[in-house]
Amino acid sequence: MIFPGINNQRQPRIDLVQLGAVLVLMLISIAFVYSATMSNDSTSGLAWYRQSYFRQMVWFTLGLGAAGVVCVIDYHALSRWAFVGYWVAILFLVAVLIPHVGSMRYGARRWVDLGGFQFQPSEFAKLAFIMAQAHFLSRPVDELRQRRIFWKAIGLMLLPFLLIMKEPDLGSGLVLLPTGLAMLLAAGTPKRYLLQLISIVGILAGLFLADVLYAPPKYRLKMQEYQKSRLLVYFNRNYADYAGPDASEAERKKMREQQFNDSLNVRQALIAAGSGGLTGKGWRNGQQNALGFLPQAGKHNDFIFSVIAEEKGFFGSVIVITLYSVILFTGIRIAGQARDRLGKLLAVGVVTLLFSHVFINIGMNIRIMPVTGVPLPLLSYGGSSVLGSLIAIGMLQNVHIYRKAY
Amino acid sequence: MLIFDQLKKDDPQLRFLAVMVFGGMVVLLAGLWWVQVVSAGYYQDKLETQSLRSVRIPAVRGKILDRDGRPLAENRPSYNINLYLEDLSAKFQAAYATALTQTRKGLAFQMAAQEKRLNRELTKQEKKQFAVTLKIKNDLQEQTHYEVSSNIVADVGARLEQNIPLAQKDFQRHYDKARAIPLPVLANLNSTQVARFEEQSIHTPGMDMDIQSLRYYPNNTTAAHLLGYLARNNDSSEGEPAEYNYRMDDYTGLTGIEKLLDKELRGTAGAKSVLVNNLGYRQRETVWSPAEPGQNVVLTIDLDIQKASEVALQEAQANARGAVVVMDARNGDVLAMASNPTYDPNFFAERHDPATSAKMWEYLNDKNLRPQWNRAMQENYAPGSIFKIVVGLAALEQGLNPEETFHSLGYFPMPGRKPIGDTAGAGDFNFSRALAKSSNPYFITQALKPGMLPKIISVGQRLHLGERTGLLPRQETPGHFPSLNDVAASSWRDGDTANFSIGQGPIVVTPLQMAVMIAAVANGGKVFQPRLLTRIEPYGATEAAQSFPEGQLRDTLGVSARSLRIVREAMLADVESPEGTGHAAAIPGWRIAGKTGTAEVERNGKKDRSAKNTWFVSFAPVENPRYVVVATVEGGASGGLTCAPIAHKVYLAIQQREQQRDKKAPKPETLAQMR
Repeated sequence: MIFPGINNQRQPRIDLVQLGAVLVLMLISIAFVYSATMSNDSTSGLAWYRQSYFRQMVWFTLGLGAAGVVCVIDYHALSRWAFVGYWVAILFLVAVLIPHVGSMRYGARRWVDLGGFQFQPSEFAKLAFIMAQAHFLSRPVDELRQRRIFWKAIGLMLLPFLLIMKEPDLGSGLVLLPTGLAMLLAAGTPKRYLLQLISIVGILAGLFLADVLYAPPKYRLKMQEYQKSRLLVYFNRNYADYAGPDASEAERKKMREQQFNDSLNVRQALIAAGSGGLTGKGWRNGQQNALGFLPQAGKHNDFIFSVIAEEKGFFGSVIVITLYSVILFTGIRIAGQARDRLGKLLAVGVVTLLFSHVFINIGMNIRIMPVTGVPLPLLSYGGSSVLGSLIAIGMLQNVHIYRKAY
Repeated sequence: MLIFDQLKKDDPQLRFLAVMVFGGMVVLLAGLWWVQVVSAGYYQDKLETQSLRSVRIPAVRGKILDRDGRPLAENRPSYNINLYLEDLSAKFQAAYATALTQTRKGLAFQMAAQEKRLNRELTKQEKKQFAVTLKIKNDLQEQTHYEVSSNIVADVGARLEQNIPLAQKDFQRHYDKARAIPLPVLANLNSTQVARFEEQSIHTPGMDMDIQSLRYYPNNTTAAHLLGYLARNNDSSEGEPAEYNYRMDDYTGLTGIEKLLDKELRGTAGAKSVLVNNLGYRQRETVWSPAEPGQNVVLTIDLDIQKASEVALQEAQANARGAVVVMDARNGDVLAMASNPTYDPNFFAERHDPATSAKMWEYLNDKNLRPQWNRAMQENYAPGSIFKIVVGLAALEQGLNPEETFHSLGYFPMPGRKPIGDTAGAGDFNFSRALAKSSNPYFITQALKPGMLPKIISVGQRLHLGERTGLLPRQETPGHFPSLNDVAASSWRDGDTANFSIGQGPIVVTPLQMAVMIAAVANGGKVFQPRLLTRIEPYGATEAAQSFPEGQLRDTLGVSARSLRIVREAMLADVESPEGTGHAAAIPGWRIAGKTGTAEVERNGKKDRSAKNTWFVSFAPVENPRYVVVATVEGGASGGLTCAPIAHKVYLAIQQREQQRDKKAPKPETLAQMR
């Protein structure tokens, strides 16, 4: 084992700038999980150790520990176990679909119950996929010119993607696509393969959307009702058009009500962010938050950004975006300084994954992305998300620690 | 710099990634800028519309006071019990959860029973009919909300020993439309109920008592016609924003002073905003403009004289229909204006059960009694003999020698027509005796003298007969008085002149007009604009009160002091001499001058005895006239028998009132107990 500290004495072992941004985001997370949950009558009465903000602190502690462990073991050593981790993750993703193993929440099987605490295998599957993909693609560039290798890499991506989509968890599945594509690109896969792939995916996605949004009812793909309605809300479609040609007035009315309710969360998140204005209403003073207009179940996890945007305004939003930018660009710098292609691919994977989460989640708050249920890394409440994000950061730092010695 | 270093990387793939990430972050920032900075106002408005409800708070209505500041109309606290739905939301949820579980169980049980009966498992389609549908859930919610609320209401009702009805329909309407404001459950608690509620129910969840101001007329029927009454009306006044989510009960004046000065009395409504949560329940309230109480109105009315006039009128005969006007002869101030039958204006401010309400409205709309009619101003009465005062003044001005005797036949022969009757009888009459005994032939003879008719018209016009005084809106008739053109027309015959000169035929007047007339005779010819309003006192002492000047002259009578003196002396004789028709009005201590009148009224071409107008017009004390009392009763026996006793009682009350004032120890209640 090489001890990099010996080689580059003057350089810090870890990327302190990135670590600083991570720590600030964690503090923000605790403050606003507190704000989001303490304004709620049904949850503010709980004992302190059962409060979300306290649990979030516990998760952060655990996550920092896990990240520390991931940091110290050389990523080369870790990557030897990449495929083991990958198949274990696949196993969990299959298990979660089995009725008595995976538990149902909000109409989707996303959680595995492990004696008292539940975890979301998809969060870890994303990381396992990055590890496996990086390991697979770190072979010599010449081999990547072979179609067989290319399609294997695609397969590696599609397997967890389809399993997650089956849960169903559209958002978590979708973030795998840009991550996989970015890693393929960074690995040096010929551009024409990628262009072919992107056009195929693009055409498929286009057909899919056209089918859902515009096709006559009997030709439409079967989707989960809530996923369909999220897409319809996003594309501003009129529900009543989907009631069928011989629907009664009452049915149409019901569809319109349904539309109102479905678009409610998006609308309320927008009102929260918009009414925050430039400077916000102050911590714990958000009306949308306190009066319960923001979705009760989601405001401390998927919709945490709207609480921040309402209470801290555009300034708060800029700070959050800046902190994420610091993490992402230090990540890209780490990728550039990586010792080898494995390290670079790992870093690219993690950066793309984090970026996809941030973009989809914040984009959803300002209605440039559909509501897909993607957590905001480090800010959203939730054990699996926090652990996953911190382990991902640990992987980045790992690549940094064992970087090239200049 | 960190970001630009990455953007300038020489590794094309990483550079591409950096550009993508940079672009993504810029898109997010631009989007956030658009939402949070450019459209911030739009979203703040949206936030307000969904979480703020504005409520209009009516102002406390100004008081109406008598000339000494005693209240004729004021406000009293009305205690109401309200149900605060937001405090019940936890109970609602609990009850709904229980009910939902029970329904689920019930449906599952039914399904099991069905399966047992069919001896097979039901198909998916068949199972659907046992599912808990959205409609079942909605119905359950409505049902449980109502049950929780009505249980609490029934509970409070039991403690207050009053059955409080709460209809599900009303409850649901309030829940759907006005969830942010409390649901009024019981209004106008009596003092026992207030005490009971304070003692036992103060901690009942969701129940609380509030106090609202309710219009109150402490003297009930007194001056009802003058004061007018209110009707529920929540409309905004001028200059007030009309956009409110909710409005609390407000009132507007429909008649009388309440109508005339509605704007001043009503004050300025305030507004509060109620912050609601996502379920529409109230969270907290902010009053952003407090209501500004209305202004107080001070009338010229004297409460004691007003009450005495009403009592005297009511005692004149059973179901007396008539009016009394008391006026200050020196300045035209209306001291009392009574009209009977009357009503209690409190009726309109309170809520009643339908039976009471229907009965009251039947009375109010009675065609014969017409209690809503202000007979002192609103009714056309033939003046009868009291008009002889005007004819007498005109004759004296035309050079009539008051001592010259005239022999009366006891009737006046009209060529080609039925003779005009007389109650004074045959005999010799000078002016004084003719006026006191009300000799028809004497005055008809005078009126038929050349040049007399235009003079009578001129005196009448200076008294502004046939014109409104403008004292109160929608409560006044101008009466009728012929013009010079009318009497010069070829259709005008001597018979008309004869009728006219004894106050019949083409002349109708109001008691108020007669009071102005008598005041002019008493005060030496000043025809006053009658005054009812003394001043309007703004709430708070920041602004000066708006005063209405007293003694506004409308005209002068234009007759000599001598003529007036002769008429006054004749009127004095009418009361003073035992054979005078108005002798019943006399009181010890004051010399009263008066004139009785009894006008026949023809209805459908026949004499209608029940519609006969009986009058007594008077002023006192003769030496220094201060008070004018005019009384009229429809269908009375005669002016002397029916109306003079009314004036008698009124003068007694006035005397008592003056003595009280002299003692400077007003005991306002003593006269009120005259009945």
